[in-house]
Amino acid sequence: MKIKLIIGEKEELIEISENKTVKNLLDIIDIASETVVVKKNDFIVIDEEIIEDGDLIEVIQVIYGG
Amino acid sequence: MNSCDKCGNPNIIIKKKQSGQKLCKDCFIKSTQNKVLKDIRKYNLLEKGDNVLLGLSGGKDSVMLLDILNTLKKRNIIDLMAVTIDEGICGYREEGIEIAARNAKKLGVEHKVVTFKEYFGMTLDDIISKNNVKEGRRNACTYCGVFRRWIFNRVARDEGATKIATGHNLDDETQSIVMNYLEGNIQNLTRIGVKSETRSNRFTVKIKPLREIPEKEIALYVVARELDVHFAGCPYAGESFRAEVGNFIKELSKEHPTIMYSTLRGFDKMKPVLKREFSQESIVGVCENCGEPTVARLCKACTFLTDWENE
Ligand SMILES: [Zn+2]
Ligand SMILES: [Zn+2]
Repeated sequence: MKIKLIIGEKEELIEISENKTVKNLLDIIDIASETVVVKKNDFIVIDEEIIEDGDLIEVIQVIYGG
Repeated sequence: MNSCDKCGNPNIIIKKKQSGQKLCKDCFIKSTQNKVLKDIRKYNLLEKGDNVLLGLSGGKDSVMLLDILNTLKKRNIIDLMAVTIDEGICGYREEGIEIAARNAKKLGVEHKVVTFKEYFGMTLDDIISKNNVKEGRRNACTYCGVFRRWIFNRVARDEGATKIATGHNLDDETQSIVMNYLEGNIQNLTRIGVKSETRSNRFTVKIKPLREIPEKEIALYVVARELDVHFAGCPYAGESFRAEVGNFIKELSKEHPTIMYSTLRGFDKMKPVLKREFSQESIVGVCENCGEPTVARLCKACTFLTDWENE
């Protein structure tokens, strides 16, 4: 399935398999979940939220340093 | 099934690792505000009529604190003014200053920008490049901290502020405790706390109302409240010992989510003993050069400045 992923200024369509959580996605794109807030279709969601086909996922980097 | 522990809303935005508590957006915002206001009362950080000077960098911590202190200003409990220090960090600070100004303006809070350049004749970038590059970068946080403290204290006195409020969070405070312990800086440890104790009436009392709020929750708060925030890391911070300690504690926190709280609680219990045994109650005089309070002939800021002049 396809989702739209926004990280900062960067926006892209990516292909991921079914039944992945936000945490799974962050692991795939190698971003530490402790350093970001994630929105799904404009609403803040927790790590275990399931991603569905056509979702808009925005990853907001909120913690820097290190 | 995940739903808000307080209102049952199925759209939760946090599941706290340390307590298991689940909250929706509105309940998270409310509970975080209440926690900060409760801490302000519990530790007696503010009194009615206080004139508070807030250090507003435009980063998430200070923007959140502005949001909460403004509720006390609106209820006529305190007066509030914000000051942004422009250290002169090219390509980093400019955006923070703009964002700080926009936040203050939106709430109708008086805002002032003061610079290292106007007070010390040089920017932090100048200071770092004067030093041996590796050494200078490593000490960036030390220089910056000394000069920032000097400016805050001076501006607070000039503005007649009775309290200086800063956005230090649980992560910052835990880092300070562990870092100073590891370095054996027991003197510094005796000065860590939610509220400074004045040793001179020329020092304005400093308070840290966000000291028990984890950095991640502050980030979540500003995103949930849709506040305008400068999300960026200081280019000099990454190489500091503080950053190394910070990463170490964050790593530990993944498997031990209560570790920052227990570090803070344990430290606060030991602190009276540390103070009694190690606090040097030296007589506070004033710096010969600038008139700021110090126990030595020159304050730390003037010591650095004269050392560089003599090079
Ligand atoms: Zn709720
Ligand atoms: Zn001085």
